[in-house]
Amino acid sequence: MKKEEALKATFATILGLILVFPIYYSLAASFFQVHQFFAYPPQLLPTSLSLVNYARALKESPLARFMFNSLYVSVVGSAIRMSVAILAAFATAYFTFKGRDFLFFLILGTMMLPSDALIIENYLMVRRLGLLDTYLGIMAVYLLAPVQMFMLRQAFKSIPYTFKEVAMMDGCSDFAFLTKIVLPITRPIVLTLSLHSFVTIWNTYLWPLLVTNNPQMRTVQVGITMLGYTENLDYGPIFAAISLVLIPSLILFLLLRRYIVEGIASGSIVG
Amino acid sequence: MWQKRQDSERLETPPLSKQTQLIIIASMKRKRGAYAPYLYFLPALILALLFSYYPFVKTLLNSLSLVSFTGKLSHFVGLENFRALFKDPNFRKSLLNTFRFALLFIPLDLALSLVCALLIYKKRPLNGLNETLIMLPMAVAMSSAALVFKALFNPTIGVVNYLFKVSIDWFNSPTWALLTIVFLGVWMAVSLDFLLLLGALRSIPRDLTEAADLEGTSKWSRFFRLQLPLISPTIMFIITTRLRDSMLLSGPVLVMTEGGPYRSTQTLVYQMYIEGFTGANYSKGSTISVVVFLLTFILILLAFRIEKRRVFYQ
Repeated sequence: MKKEEALKATFATILGLILVFPIYYSLAASFFQVHQFFAYPPQLLPTSLSLVNYARALKESPLARFMFNSLYVSVVGSAIRMSVAILAAFATAYFTFKGRDFLFFLILGTMMLPSDALIIENYLMVRRLGLLDTYLGIMAVYLLAPVQMFMLRQAFKSIPYTFKEVAMMDGCSDFAFLTKIVLPITRPIVLTLSLHSFVTIWNTYLWPLLVTNNPQMRTVQVGITMLGYTENLDYGPIFAAISLVLIPSLILFLLLRRYIVEGIASGSIVG
Repeated sequence: MWQKRQDSERLETPPLSKQTQLIIIASMKRKRGAYAPYLYFLPALILALLFSYYPFVKTLLNSLSLVSFTGKLSHFVGLENFRALFKDPNFRKSLLNTFRFALLFIPLDLALSLVCALLIYKKRPLNGLNETLIMLPMAVAMSSAALVFKALFNPTIGVVNYLFKVSIDWFNSPTWALLTIVFLGVWMAVSLDFLLLLGALRSIPRDLTEAADLEGTSKWSRFFRLQLPLISPTIMFIITTRLRDSMLLSGPVLVMTEGGPYRSTQTLVYQMYIEGFTGANYSKGSTISVVVFLLTFILILLAFRIEKRRVFYQ
């Protein structure tokens, strides 16, 4: 029995190492010198820890600007996205009004309309609104998150209604009730969903590719695919750029590992 | 006269007590608050209309009309666009490639994530590390992952050919190019699906597995008769979401292969993108996107039907 468990664990470790290999390789290759890419057998270990590739990636392309763009869009975008979802969830969880269920399902129904299949018309819409090459244009299609609204509504509903009655009797306004009572109580799920929003916006590729023509407005995901070294197999700066994007997200991921696992287990993070 | 009676009534009302005053203020507050929930809903509603429903309706209309290259509807043509689309060998190729991708990607992803989850669902010291290792690909964004895979599979500088002792020209062969996209897809999906299955396996009540062990059931029958039925809702969920992802596949194609070679990796959304933006053929692009909607919708409905019939809920 013991032996079998050990065997299983070893096998799992091997699978895990295979899965991690692409990450390892891009970190290692970011230190390679040009000739190392062409060596046979292919090299798997850097011979020096020279930062030449990093310097080149930062100097020869607006990588820093790309990263700032992504950070800005992800932070502001998820803040708006969460606010919109929180307000809508608050309205459905605590108020009875005419057409509430209809409105709720109208918003939830957008789930059935994947935005990747709407890019043509959304592009025309954003162009009409004059939002091409703007941060708002990049965020536009991510500002509504029906699933998150649904999750938040469930969380809000778990707070007893008497809390609201008591708050109202003490002269608390609706909005203050939301910000001072509801949100602090549901903070774990709000944080998990915010994190998920951040990652979603940070990772998107197709939409920002479409709505940005100006290189200065590109997000990092779009930008690193356009560095243009691949033609000459000059992969060093590319791997350096990939690693620059990767390292912060790896660190963040390892730090927040527990929340991510819990979020997935509780069903608040889906695809 | 009506006015007069009201006036006289007003005169007759006695001064309000403090309590009634409070009640009136409260009811006024409620009245003023009546539009508040609509106000809270407004941003979501505007966004839903602007970026979901309006474009959806417009896409439907586009698919039934001729559209000028500025995006204006010119005239209604019924289902002509669909007829032309299904005659287009390019489109058939996209459709076939998209299904081919789904058929390769979903079973591979499911098998790998299930094997990983089964290997380490029991909490043991080393398994914490294993769990982290298998989770890590989740931290990598699609475009970085696609670039890394492009380099790994490169026949000149790539390590894959060397490590597996093969010499395949991955990106120049119609047979192998789609596989590189499948591998990338699996690599990006496996972490999340593994965690979902791990959670499902761990939530099976202990006494059930212990009872099975006491009765001396073999490992295989324990898996097929106990664990698999209990985690089947999670498996269905994974299949459904991955089917949807497969129908919408475009990013890895854009970064790694640009649809080639010989359109062997051209998918539906990729073709839609090309038709719509490189060719400014909005009606064709929109027609493809309606097909994508229908496919996603039908597949999800189908999955739910199977789920109802076959899946065991506690």
